[in-house]
Amino acid sequence: MKLSGFIRKVFGLGQWRPVEARLNPQAALHLRYLNFKELTTSNDEILEVVAGLERRLDSDSLFGMGYVRSRCVTAATHAYRMVQNLNAISSRRYPELLLVFGDVQRAMERALDRGRARSEGPLTYSLRAVDLSLAENVGGKSANLGELKNGAKLPVPEGFAISTSAYHSFLEANQLGDEIRVRLLSLDIDDLENLDHTSGSIRRLIRKTPLPETLEAAIQGAYQELCASLGHSPRVALRSSAIGEDGHLSFAGQYVSLLNVIPSKIIDAYREVIAGLYTPQAIYYRAINGIPNEDIPMGVACLAMVEASASGVACSLDPNHPASGNMVINGAWGLGVATVGGSVSPDTWDVAKGPEPSIKRASLGAKETCMEPLQEGGIAPRPLPENLQTAFCLTSGQVKDLALLIMAVRAHYDAEQEVEWALDSSGRFFLMQSRPLHFSVKAESGNEPALEADGHPLVLRGASAATGCRCGPVFISMRPDDIGGFPEGAVLVARHSSPEYVKVMNRAAAIVTDVGAIAGHMASLAREFAIPAVFDAKEATTILADGEIVTVDGTRGAVYRGRAESLLDDPGQRRPRKMTGTPVYKVLQEVASFIVPLNLTDPRSPDFFPRGCKTIHDIARFAHERAFEEMFRLSDRVSKNAYQAMVLEARLPFELCLIDLGGGLSRPFGSGRVKPSEVISRPTAALLKGMSDAKLRWWEPKPVSVRGLVSVATESLLGPGDEFGQRRLGDRSYAIIADAYCNFNSRIGYHFTAVDAYCCDTASRNYISFRFKGGAADEFRRANRCLLIEKILHRLDFQVERQGDLVNARFRKFPPEALLKRLEELGRLVVATRQLDMRMGASAAIEWYVEAFFKGNYLFDPGAAEENGSKGAPP
Amino acid sequence: MTRLIRLLIVDDEERFVETLSKRFAARGFYVEGANSGPDALAILNQKPFDVVLLDLRMPGMDGLQTLREIRSAQPLLQTVMLSGNASINAAVEGMRLGASDYLLKPADIEEVIAKVEEAFEKKRLKEKDLSGRNEA
Repeated sequence: MKLSGFIRKVFGLGQWRPVEARLNPQAALHLRYLNFKELTTSNDEILEVVAGLERRLDSDSLFGMGYVRSRCVTAATHAYRMVQNLNAISSRRYPELLLVFGDVQRAMERALDRGRARSEGPLTYSLRAVDLSLAENVGGKSANLGELKNGAKLPVPEGFAISTSAYHSFLEANQLGDEIRVRLLSLDIDDLENLDHTSGSIRRLIRKTPLPETLEAAIQGAYQELCASLGHSPRVALRSSAIGEDGHLSFAGQYVSLLNVIPSKIIDAYREVIAGLYTPQAIYYRAINGIPNEDIPMGVACLAMVEASASGVACSLDPNHPASGNMVINGAWGLGVATVGGSVSPDTWDVAKGPEPSIKRASLGAKETCMEPLQEGGIAPRPLPENLQTAFCLTSGQVKDLALLIMAVRAHYDAEQEVEWALDSSGRFFLMQSRPLHFSVKAESGNEPALEADGHPLVLRGASAATGCRCGPVFISMRPDDIGGFPEGAVLVARHSSPEYVKVMNRAAAIVTDVGAIAGHMASLAREFAIPAVFDAKEATTILADGEIVTVDGTRGAVYRGRAESLLDDPGQRRPRKMTGTPVYKVLQEVASFIVPLNLTDPRSPDFFPRGCKTIHDIARFAHERAFEEMFRLSDRVSKNAYQAMVLEARLPFELCLIDLGGGLSRPFGSGRVKPSEVISRPTAALLKGMSDAKLRWWEPKPVSVRGLVSVATESLLGPGDEFGQRRLGDRSYAIIADAYCNFNSRIGYHFTAVDAYCCDTASRNYISFRFKGGAADEFRRANRCLLIEKILHRLDFQVERQGDLVNARFRKFPPEALLKRLEELGRLVVATRQLDMRMGASAAIEWYVEAFFKGNYLFDPGAAEENGSKGAPP
Repeated sequence: MTRLIRLLIVDDEERFVETLSKRFAARGFYVEGANSGPDALAILNQKPFDVVLLDLRMPGMDGLQTLREIRSAQPLLQTVMLSGNASINAAVEGMRLGASDYLLKPADIEEVIAKVEEAFEKKRLKEKDLSGRNEA
C-alpha cells in the first residue's frame, strides 16, 4: 500500500486529466490502438537493432559503416515514432521525451561524423616537395616516395602527387560520395556475387563522373611542370596512394597502379585509380580490417615512367626466416607487375648483408613472359626468348648494388622494409615503393621437410611464403575470378598468386600456388592473415585433386596428402582476425553506447521518467511501458468511455488486464473483473487455458534442487502471496483482444514476452508471432534460457530466429485448430519459463529441460522427471 | 472493409518505379509512378491517392520538400519514405514532417507492402475518426 502511494506521487497519477470525449468512440479507440500497435512494432524493431548490435560487439562477424549507419537510422526513426505514438495515445503527456530523444539523436550523429575531417591543401604537389610529414595530404605511397627522394636522397623517379584534397573535391562534385554510399548500403561482402556487382556499379559510376574543372586544370598543370623539369613529355605511371596504405596494414596489391599512361589519358587513369578503391578485393580487405568504406582519402602518385629492363621486390630481411639475417630479392625481366602480381615465378636471391653483400643462394625462376609497355599506352605480357628465360635478370654485381640500396632504405627508416625496385635500360636502379615489412606470425627457420609425416607422403615442395601448418580440402582455382563457392576451411590451390584472392583469405585454411613470389603482394597478405602458404610449388594444380585433404606446412614449404596431425598448428594459436579495435568497430562501439544500454529497468524506480532516459533502448522501454499504462488508464478513469479495461480473475502468476476492441468478451462492460469463461476471443482463450494449466504449479514452493536455479533477482522480488498464490507485487500483464485477435504483453524487469495472434477460419490470414527477450541473469544463463525456448518452439513447428537473448518466432497460415493448440502451449511456456532461471552446465542439459517441458514437468523438478521415466537430473 | 489501395510511387530512378509498380500491381494495388517531386504533386492534384511511397534523394525538389508540400495540401494522405540515404537527420526530419514510416533501401518487397498497408489502415481510421466528429 505504501508503495502504491509512492508510485502515485512519483508519476503524478493523481493529476490525470481525461481525454477529450470522442463522438466516434469506436474509431477513436481504433486510432489509439493503431498508434499503440505502431509503437509496439517500433519497439520490436528497436529490440532487434539492440540485439544485432550486441552480437556485432562481441562476435567476429564483419560489418562496415553501411551497417552501422543503417542501424542508427532504424533505431532513431523508430524511437522518434514511439515518442510521437506515446504522445498521441496520452494526449501529449510526455513532451519532455522528445527533447531527450533529440539529445540522444545528436550524440549518435556526432559519433557517426567523427573521423570524417577533411584535409585542406593544394590539389597537387611536386614529388620534390614531399616527405613523410605530408602523409595526410598525399597518402602513404607518395609520402614514402618523397621521403626516399628528398629525405634519404635515394633514386626515385620524378613526378608529382595528386593530393587527398583533390580526391575530396572529386567526391563532392556531382555528389559522387553520396551516390557511392547509397550503393554500398546494399553490399553483402560474404556474397561474392553481390560483392562483384556492387564493386562494378561503383567503379562504372566513378569512371563516368567528370572531374571538377579546377582539379583537371591542376593535374594538367602539374604534368606540364614535370615535362618542363625533364625537358620532354614522359609517359607516366599512376599509383594509388591511400591514407593508411603502407602503414600498419599493408593493403598489398589491393589498389590499382596503371603503367605507361600516355599524356592524353592521365585524367582517365586518375579516375581509374580512384575507382580502384572499390575493386572487390579492396572492399573485402577493408571490411575484414574494419576500415570504413566511405571517405577513404585516396591520393595518387604520378611518376615519370621508368622503362625497366628488369624489376621486382626485395625484403630487407627474410620475412619467414628472419633468424637467417638474410635479405631476399625477387626479380624478373621487364616491368615489376609480373613479380609482385604473381604471374611469373621470379629469380630469387638470398643475400647476406654487410658492407660487402654476398649472395648465399640464387635460384632461377621460370620466366616465360615479361611485361612490356605498348606503343599505344598500357602494358601487355610478351613471350620471352629462350635465352632470357634461362638467364638471371640481374648480374651478381647488380644484385650486390641493389642490396646496398635496399640496406640504405632500411637504414633510413630504421625498420625492415619491403621495397619495389626497377632497373632502367641504362643500368640505374630506381625505387618505386617502400613499406614496412610484415613478418609471419610464427617466423622460424625452416628445416628440410620430412618425406613422410604420420604416414602421409610428401607430395609437393615449394617456397615458404607464410609460416604455419594447417590442413583442409583442396579447392583448385585457375584464375582469381573462379573462386565462387570457396568453402570455409578449404586449402586454396591456385595457378598464380594474385592479391585478388584476398576475397577468400578469411575462409582459407592454407594456400598453395604453382607460381608466385614470396616477396609479392599475395605472400604479404598471407602473412598478414596468418595463413600458411607454399608458393612456387610448380604443379600443385595438376597433382592435387579438388576436395582431397592435404596438410600444408608453410614453414618448410611442403604439402602432404591427408591430415598429418602431428605437424598441425594448435588451433588456439591461430590469431583470429577481429573487428575489435578497428576504426569501424570504434564507431560502432560509440554509437552503440547511445542505443544499447538499458538504464531504466524498474517502472517503480524514481529514475523511471523521461529525463532518466539515456539511450534509445531506454526511450523505447519508457515509451512502451507508459503506452500500456496510458491505454489501460483511459478505461480506468473515463467512466463514460466506450471501452473498458478489466482484470482477469484467474490463477496466474501476474495480474492480467484486458481491453476488448470488440467481440473478445461475452459481455460489453461491467465490473472491473472478468471471468476466464467470459473470454470468447478464440486466441486469447487458448493462451489463457495454457497459462492456467494446473500442472504449472507455479504457486507451490520450489523443490529444493530447483530453488537453487531461481535467480536471486527473481527470488528477491517474490512478494507475499495474495489470494491467487505467490505473485510478484505489481506484476501486470496486458492483453488487447478482439474476437479473432490477441495481443499479450508481459514485461517484468528485464524479461519481456509478447504474443500477437490472429485466428480465424481462413488459414492464410492466421498467424502467431512470439517474442521473448530475457535479461536479469548472466549472459550464459540468458543464452541457455533462450536456447531452451528456441528448441521448444522448434518442436512446436515455429520458425525461430534467435539473436543473443532475443527470440523471435512465427507460426503462420495454419488452420485455427493448429493455431489454438500452439497458443495453449505458448501459455504454458510463458509461465513455466518465467519460473526458471536456469543454471545449466552443458548444452546437453537443455535437452533434458525440453523433454521435461513436453512431459508436463513444468517445474523442471528432477525428482518428478524420474517418475516420468526421464533419465538423469540436470547438473 | 477491404478496398483497392491507391498508391503513388515517387522516385527519380525510373527503373525502380517500374519494377516496384509491377510488384504492387500484381498484389492488387492501384499504382501510379512519378519521377520527380513536382510530377508527384501534379498527379496528386488530379486524383485521390491513399499512400505515397517517396524517395528522399531526388534532384531538384527533394523528398523532404515534396513531403512538406504533400502534408500541407492533403494532411490525411499517408507517406512512407523509402531511401538509400542513411542519414539520421533526414530520416527523423521525414518522420517529423509526418511520414508514417521510413524504410532503408534495399528493402524487402514484403516489408514495403506491409508498411504501405499499415499506412493505409492509419489513413482509413483517421478518416473514420474525422467523419465521426463531423457528424456531430
